[in-house]
Amino acid sequence: MAKPKVSSDWLAGCAGCHMSLLDMDERIIKVAELVDLRATPITDLKEPDASGVDVGVLEGGINNTTNEEVVKTMRKRCKVLVALGDCAVFGGVPALRNFFTIEESLRRAYVETESTDSEGKIPDDPELCHPTRVRALSEVVPVDVFVPGCPPDADVIFYVLAELAQGRVPVLKDDLLHWH
Amino acid sequence: MINLTIDGKQVEVPEGTTVLRAAEKAGIKVPKLCDHPQLVPTGGCRLCIVDVQGFRVPMSSCTLPASNGMIVKTDSEALRKSRQTILSLLFSERNHFCPFCQLSGGDCELQNAAYDQGMTHWPMQPGWKTFPVDTSHDYFILDNNRCILCRRCVRACSELVGNYTLGIAERGSDCMLVADANVPLGDSSCVSCGVCLQVCPTGALIDRQSAYYGHEKQLTCTESTCVGCSVGCGINVLTSDNRLVRIEGNWNAPVNGGLLCKIGKFDPVAETRSRITTPLVRKNGKLEPASWEEALEKVAQSIKPLVGKKGNGVAALASTRLPAESLALFKQLFADQIQSDMVTSLEEGQPSALPAALADELGLPFEGSLDILRTADCTLAIGVNLVENHQVAGFFLKRNVPLGSKLIVVDPQENGLDELAAYILKANAGSDLDVIEGLQAAIVNAKMERVPAAPINSAKVLAEVNKKTGLAEADVTGAAQALASAAKPVIVYGKGITANGNADTLKALVTLAKITGASLISIKGEANSLAAAQYHLDRVFELNGHQAVYVALGDDTPSQRLIDRLAKAPFLAVQTVYHSPLTEMAQVVLPVTRWIEQDGHYLSLDGRLQMAHKAMQAPANVWVDEQVFTRLAGELGLALNGNDGSDRWKELLFQRVAPVKITEN
Repeated sequence: MAKPKVSSDWLAGCAGCHMSLLDMDERIIKVAELVDLRATPITDLKEPDASGVDVGVLEGGINNTTNEEVVKTMRKRCKVLVALGDCAVFGGVPALRNFFTIEESLRRAYVETESTDSEGKIPDDPELCHPTRVRALSEVVPVDVFVPGCPPDADVIFYVLAELAQGRVPVLKDDLLHWH
Repeated sequence: MINLTIDGKQVEVPEGTTVLRAAEKAGIKVPKLCDHPQLVPTGGCRLCIVDVQGFRVPMSSCTLPASNGMIVKTDSEALRKSRQTILSLLFSERNHFCPFCQLSGGDCELQNAAYDQGMTHWPMQPGWKTFPVDTSHDYFILDNNRCILCRRCVRACSELVGNYTLGIAERGSDCMLVADANVPLGDSSCVSCGVCLQVCPTGALIDRQSAYYGHEKQLTCTESTCVGCSVGCGINVLTSDNRLVRIEGNWNAPVNGGLLCKIGKFDPVAETRSRITTPLVRKNGKLEPASWEEALEKVAQSIKPLVGKKGNGVAALASTRLPAESLALFKQLFADQIQSDMVTSLEEGQPSALPAALADELGLPFEGSLDILRTADCTLAIGVNLVENHQVAGFFLKRNVPLGSKLIVVDPQENGLDELAAYILKANAGSDLDVIEGLQAAIVNAKMERVPAAPINSAKVLAEVNKKTGLAEADVTGAAQALASAAKPVIVYGKGITANGNADTLKALVTLAKITGASLISIKGEANSLAAAQYHLDRVFELNGHQAVYVALGDDTPSQRLIDRLAKAPFLAVQTVYHSPLTEMAQVVLPVTRWIEQDGHYLSLDGRLQMAHKAMQAPANVWVDEQVFTRLAGELGLALNGNDGSDRWKELLFQRVAPVKITEN
């Protein structure tokens, strides 16, 4: 049997979940043995293979139109979609901006921040994507495996990848189940 | 007894037990959130639902009384699904994003409940509604966004404390926790007892002092006794790396059942006084750091020529916050060995000398246990303000009033219990005896006495009551009859009675208790008031011609009155924990441990001999009181006994008849 192809990407998150993936130390070699790592933020390929991958892993919530596209592409091209980390699973810290309007958030970020001078300006180039309400992946596309954690421990990520690589659906419980 | 089957296990429980408690008794864990062992069940969260054979739908086990032959199942696929839905609804209702909450990772009951149900995510997304955050309170923050409306805090505030500060405002999804009529917590009727913090299952009520200082499992918990006052509440002291993180009421403690007041819960953590970590000796008018040898020698030099002198020798005062062991040794050193005739406590027997003297006279205890307050149906509170001090005792009174218990308050001053009182007797100052005699007369007049009273002309006394006390005769009669007709009457008295030195007033109160069948409780003062009285450290202090004064202040705060009276002392040595105006006047200052850094016994107001345990390490050059007394005795060429871990201090406690029976836990 060919090694399952795995692709990943990050959205509205902090990259911490991918850092946690790297935190599994030498077990990353084991992962490389078990799977064919395709496009990820830590490899050179930029998009999941058009021919499809077996497992798609996404970190971060969806907070703009670009993210929406990335998620939909990944969903289309992967068999099993993994939501990795609290932002992908719940919306996470970025989702706290949902308690405000997008205008308020933009003004805070680009105009009112203490580090912004009086010339602060909200970017409005037509080529830019549009910010949206922050959503968990499952609000936009069906998700197969939820891996909460902020970030999920390296142990948890290793367990999830190892199970998927061996054709099983990982079940998170007891010590492996953490949202923090 | 009721017999039922839960998850195949046979369980026998007393009638009236809920299915939840029966399951817990059988060692079966049922998920729950709004339930708390100390609170009346409300069935609010629905997480504890169980299947009962023959019932159409799952039932909340916390509100379902167990009945004979019930067959209960606490776990099934359907129940699990329902619980997940319930939890999902709770999570989606407000801001329950865990990573930035200080409870996440072990201390949050909501999060733990979700883990128990194996939830990896919420099937429902939040509604993004914002609720107010109230940061106006000195000791805690209320974040309604994290509240799950379990109402544990509301119930604790009313059922346990009787304060009724917390409540729920609005309807449906707008429901939120508010103080009083939606005023900021800091401006509300909150008494800062902190019990709401202790029952909150989520991070909605945040302790300012201990938030983000680590999870419960990372903290060291030491069971101990509060030394804030004479009530003697059981506490858990939570520390981390020798830092006091927070204090919690011990739910299993017999005295307080988990309750604390601000003095016990928040004040020790908020301590700001400046610590003394080395002995200080005055040189050229300035206090300079010195070695223990030098400091003790300086004290011994001043005291040695005065040994055995009366009236112009050494006067010694000890704080009633010191452990019994220290007080006993203090007494032995200054009264027995140095033979001073002025050895007393900082309270000077104000809260305890009179009851102690009466116990001597009667030859047996005449007061009852504090527990009686919990079930009293009529309480006369005289000369005591249980809202300012000894607050936990006050909580027992306050919480019973809405349940029908009547309260009679006799106090010439404004009293925090006035607003709850059925009878507020604002008598003229100094007329306590007349009030008590008036109450007696009213009872005799109505022929309601339970034991024959001494013959008095009750009609005459009653006729004069208004003139003598300023009270309306009808109020006195009403209060007297309420007390006399109660099934479990209690009379609580405090410094208003004991500090005026009039033994007749106390005797009249004892008589009143007899003819009404009431239990008597005197509230005493500081943590070891009663122990100090047992050691006869209860006389009024006068400097007179004493040439040296030794104050074992411990971690107490010196009163202005004491400072004024000691201003003329030719030599002053202070054995204490913190810098204070008193140390500024001293020739020698000896640094000692504070209560939390030493083991020691305390005798509560109702005679419970309890231990406060060492929960923290003292600074290196700081000694415990006993060590100082022993070394000082050595410098003076005197020998103390009983400081070798023996129980001499305990024998001495029992040597004098106490106003209340002394019991060892």
